[in-house]
Amino acid sequence: MKIMPCPLNGPRNISEFACSGEVAEMPEPNRTGDEDWADFIWMSNNTAGVVREWWCHVPTNYWFIAERDTVTDEILKTYPAGKVFTARRDFQGRDEGP
Amino acid sequence: MTAPGDFPRRSFVARKLDEAGAGFGSLGDAAVALDFGDSAAEAETARRLGLADLSPLPRTGFKGAGAVEWLAGQGVEVPAESNRAARQSGGELAARLAPGEVLVLGAPEAEADGLPAALEAAWAAEPLPPGTPRGFPLPRRDSHAWFLVSGSEAAAMFAKLCGVDLRPDKFPNLSIAQTSVARVSAIVVRDDRGGTLAYHLLTDSASAEYLWDCLLDAMVEFEGRPVGLAAVRALGDG
Amino acid sequence: MRAGSNRLPAPAGLLVDRERPVSFAWEGARYWGLAGDTLASALAANGEWILSRSFKYHRPRGVLTMAGQDANTLVQLKGEPNVPADRLPISEDLEAWGQNYSGSLKRDRNAVLARLSRFMPVGFYYRAFYRPRGIWQAFWEPIVRRSTGLGKVDRATPHGHFDKAYGFCDLAVIGGGPAGLSTALAAAGAGAEVLLVEENPVLGGSLAYARFDAEGTLAAARREALVAEVEADPKIEVMTGAVCNGWFADNWLPVIRGNRLTKVRAKEVVLATGSIEQPAIFRNNDLPGVMQGSAAQRLIRLYGVRPGRRAVVLAGDDDGYGVALDLAEAGVEVAAVVDPRPEPAPSALTEAVAGQGIEVLAGHCVAEALAGPGNRHVRGAFVSRLDGQGGAVPGGSSIACDLLCMSTGYMPTYQLALQAGAKLGCDDAGAHFSITGLPDHLRLAGSVAGATDLEAALAEGRRAGLRAAKALGLKAGSEPEVPADKGQAGANHPWPIFPHARGKDFVDFDEDLQVKDIVNAVADGYCEIELVKRFSTVGMGPSQGRHSALATARLVARATGRSVAETGVTAARPPFTGEKLGVLAGRGFEPERLTAMHHRHLEQGAQMMTAGLWWRPAYYGTKDRREDCIREEVLAVRRNVAMIDVSTLGGLEVRGPDAAEFLNRVYTFAYAKQPLGRSRYVLMTNDAGTVIDDGVACRFRDGHFYVTATTGGVDRVYRTMLWWNAQWRLDVDIANVTAATAGVNIAGPNARAVLAPLVEGADLSAEAFPYMGLREASVAGIPARLLRVGFVGELGYEVHVPASFGEALWDRLLEAGKPHGMTPFGVEAQRVLRLEKGHIIIGQDSDAMTTPDEVDMAWAIAKKKPFFVGGRSIELRRRHPSKRKLVGFTLEGADAPLPQESNLVLRNGEMVGFVTSVTRSPTLETVIGLAYTAADEAEEGAPLRIKLTSGRMVEGRVVPPHFYDPDNQRQEM
Repeated sequence: MKIMPCPLNGPRNISEFACSGEVAEMPEPNRTGDEDWADFIWMSNNTAGVVREWWCHVPTNYWFIAERDTVTDEILKTYPAGKVFTARRDFQGRDEGP
Repeated sequence: MTAPGDFPRRSFVARKLDEAGAGFGSLGDAAVALDFGDSAAEAETARRLGLADLSPLPRTGFKGAGAVEWLAGQGVEVPAESNRAARQSGGELAARLAPGEVLVLGAPEAEADGLPAALEAAWAAEPLPPGTPRGFPLPRRDSHAWFLVSGSEAAAMFAKLCGVDLRPDKFPNLSIAQTSVARVSAIVVRDDRGGTLAYHLLTDSASAEYLWDCLLDAMVEFEGRPVGLAAVRALGDG
Repeated sequence: MRAGSNRLPAPAGLLVDRERPVSFAWEGARYWGLAGDTLASALAANGEWILSRSFKYHRPRGVLTMAGQDANTLVQLKGEPNVPADRLPISEDLEAWGQNYSGSLKRDRNAVLARLSRFMPVGFYYRAFYRPRGIWQAFWEPIVRRSTGLGKVDRATPHGHFDKAYGFCDLAVIGGGPAGLSTALAAAGAGAEVLLVEENPVLGGSLAYARFDAEGTLAAARREALVAEVEADPKIEVMTGAVCNGWFADNWLPVIRGNRLTKVRAKEVVLATGSIEQPAIFRNNDLPGVMQGSAAQRLIRLYGVRPGRRAVVLAGDDDGYGVALDLAEAGVEVAAVVDPRPEPAPSALTEAVAGQGIEVLAGHCVAEALAGPGNRHVRGAFVSRLDGQGGAVPGGSSIACDLLCMSTGYMPTYQLALQAGAKLGCDDAGAHFSITGLPDHLRLAGSVAGATDLEAALAEGRRAGLRAAKALGLKAGSEPEVPADKGQAGANHPWPIFPHARGKDFVDFDEDLQVKDIVNAVADGYCEIELVKRFSTVGMGPSQGRHSALATARLVARATGRSVAETGVTAARPPFTGEKLGVLAGRGFEPERLTAMHHRHLEQGAQMMTAGLWWRPAYYGTKDRREDCIREEVLAVRRNVAMIDVSTLGGLEVRGPDAAEFLNRVYTFAYAKQPLGRSRYVLMTNDAGTVIDDGVACRFRDGHFYVTATTGGVDRVYRTMLWWNAQWRLDVDIANVTAATAGVNIAGPNARAVLAPLVEGADLSAEAFPYMGLREASVAGIPARLLRVGFVGELGYEVHVPASFGEALWDRLLEAGKPHGMTPFGVEAQRVLRLEKGHIIIGQDSDAMTTPDEVDMAWAIAKKKPFFVGGRSIELRRRHPSKRKLVGFTLEGADAPLPQESNLVLRNGEMVGFVTSVTRSPTLETVIGLAYTAADEAEEGAPLRIKLTSGRMVEGRVVPPHFYDPDNQRQEM
């Protein structure tokens, strides 16, 4: 069983974690055409190489980001989600200007 | 004779305690298992491997923006690091579960509600809406059952249920592991009592009976048994 | 003689206690052995050599390795098949039998199968028996199953006790031979905490049985010193009788000892797994009495058993000469040493053999082991000269013997290393192996790494131990020089394969495969080793190729004109040796969650059902009255009052200045303007616009909502909420208080009358506390939240209290309801009640594609919000309208059949939907249900054709799904 280094709880058996796929920033929904939106929702890059993934430590429900090489299955580093998502996100309405 | 049914608030394992022959006493607004017939022998058991139910004891938690700062303002010593606990002047523990989350455990020795209740009252007393962020209270007395596993064999017993290395030389006193015990999410806080290795185990209250049985089953090979609060307090006396 | 006629005097017999005779039963007769004997050694001491019959041809088989690694010694116990006799300790209550025979072990009626072997060519499973169609199942399979196989499973076997534990160490050393011992000592000396895992009952590995010098004293002296040092070292934990059965990522090792599986996490691992002696191949190489040299040595040194009276040793390397010396010392007459090497280089061992006057036949091979009556034991060796290409020259001579030892070389015990991703290399000319490409934190030491010389293995062990210590961040001394490996050049004979024209030259003893089977597999076009394995079944038996992989690789390599390294071995996968399913199952942890009222339900006669991990009351009453109980509970709600435990309902506290904004984003409806003291429906869609959960949001303060979620969905909902806010960073805190909250729903026209006397701090009148209102109050002295909700469609109150008060609340409510005749109701009645109201259950009436529009939830989608999860996708999906729609339906008539959930809805024979919920409504006295049907046939009155489970078609009618009280007058009373 692999070990996942959790930024909050330290190294733990990976059975304590759930993976939620690649980190992808959501495009502005009301400024994105149908095709691009469908691509964002339903298509996955399935990158061979280093990807940033969402992981959750289940006993604490703690979300963080792991950089993992999907070819070697090596976990390169992990860090709190706040390192990537640094500021409050608000969404633009349909009628508002950009 | 005190019985769990005398109080509207009941331990999540009250029936298990009753079946095991517990003698109950009142503690605040609930009945607590004081002993199982022989508190002196239980004190010895607790030094080898004992399981005590502390669920009726007071505890609380605070979480969210400003929680740690507010607690510090209330005179609580909050550890600087997550997954560490700090003892308070009244024997309580402040366990920092995350940068913005603290669990406060009452002292097993205390008779009254103590610090947890005082904190909850102080939080509720402040006017709403709050001027500065001060986190939010968590119903830790109801969300989590509270057991104490004590004795020299405690780490070996935990190794049958938990994938984290809790051996005393690897898991220092007042360390915290938030992990899975017998496949249930749990908070393990090491808190040696009077020189005896001991761990607080806080876990989903709805899974309390299940986990109680798992623990007793895992304890059989070490001749571990349930012990009452009296034995736990005797440990604290050294 | 109690110890057996073949028992040698002390000091032979490291493991046996001559003071403690033990009797046991074998094949129905009683025998004596010594404490410490295995079944195989005790039987050998009594001159019993046949342990089982082979898988296919029913040939007698006996001791091959004495290492518990082959299929020859698998025996049957009461209640347990396939136990290796050379690992099984004897005891007074042991009753064992041989396996796979018909009649008696010594006279097996099915031995005639061997004569039919030419009709069973390689791969015959795939070619025979299949014509005419159906004949396999009808005719051949029962016959084949009866005559092949291993032990028998006794279905009456009682359950055993198995358990699991986690283990932790700095360094795990796998293998307690010379290299493993010195590894452990070096690492522990540097301060590492070491776990030493050894398969055998004692430490020492080859030091315990093999011979390293002409005098025969070196091994024991070395062993004694090393073991004493290891046992005295407090940093080393020794597990003997334990097998590490695999290597998993990040040094996760399953170590099995007895009935316990320890899942060891090691920071560093050193594999000192040694090497496995390989059988030579010649005709009848499987006869009892033909064994590996190391097996004979183990019998002598470990058990004090003389392996025969007159021996021939096939020695392809110097170790074979050591075997000859050991045999001679044990009083076995060594008739000859047969050495395939044309001119073996002289060494201390060869010279000692010569000095004893033992005949050495260099440049010869054993072409055939001569069989005694019934193939029950070897009676001689037919020895031929070898030609320049290593082939046997026709003709030769017979040498009488009852023991034929094979010592022609080893193969590293590579399995764990290869599981870890390493590669096995082979130098064909020198016939030595190398393992490369190990992951970090995994090292090798000793003969698995190619060391054959004792001093080299010891030094390599020390070096590996020090390197591991350094990797652990410990201060370790300078590494020792590893001496040049003196033995390596001639350790393994490159081609100990002497095929015979008449066959029975076994490559794989487990599967009775001969040289021609492998050669023919290649001839049939299976050139790759993995294909040869699957076609011929080589390596698929219990010993998993430990004794056949090398020979197979050599044969395939020669047949395809490649090197052994190019041919390779088949993938190594866990487990290394057979393991019991009980060990894997171990102590099973199956968490279950109980509500605070759980025991009250049991006391009140509830039949319980699971909902995720929770136990919930299905209905109250005996199973034979199930339908009646549910009906009575439904009618109690409709006509009077009843209560249900709803503690399992999910509960989330959403608090902070952005609480309303957060709910606006994660739910489809609008919450910014929701009044205090009111609850509002919540519907959650995922980012693809599919409905995934629902509940109500209760607003207590501007910045405080209490949100319910479905029992099965709340943990996922909670986690998803945290995930979204990790990205949005709104000023809001979310807490899952599901387990902290107990809840009871009191429903029915008399609900107010029951509850009102218990409530302090809230006016329950319809005007003061309307439908969808909520209050904080005290119920029977317990702090509570009261919610007026209408899932079952009657006047109703949900009372939510802290979980530890749940049982007391239940008791007080039940007591208060007594004058009104109030009863509890269960989940089954609740499902009927909600269906009568047409409320959907997400997950039952929805699937992974359901949009809000399909289930008539468009009203729950706010139109003015700039954003909510799923909103953009719902908008997109509306441009491609769904072809289906969830509708209500009825089947008219009191005798209408009751369809089942998932029954198909058809139109012109094509599926257009399926039934999601259906019941015979006690209130409406007709069959009602929800079903997906074609969107263009979803209007009221349209026909709905359901194919029943029986295949019969039944036609219903589409109706509005609000079957009962469509104007909601009753719940708003």
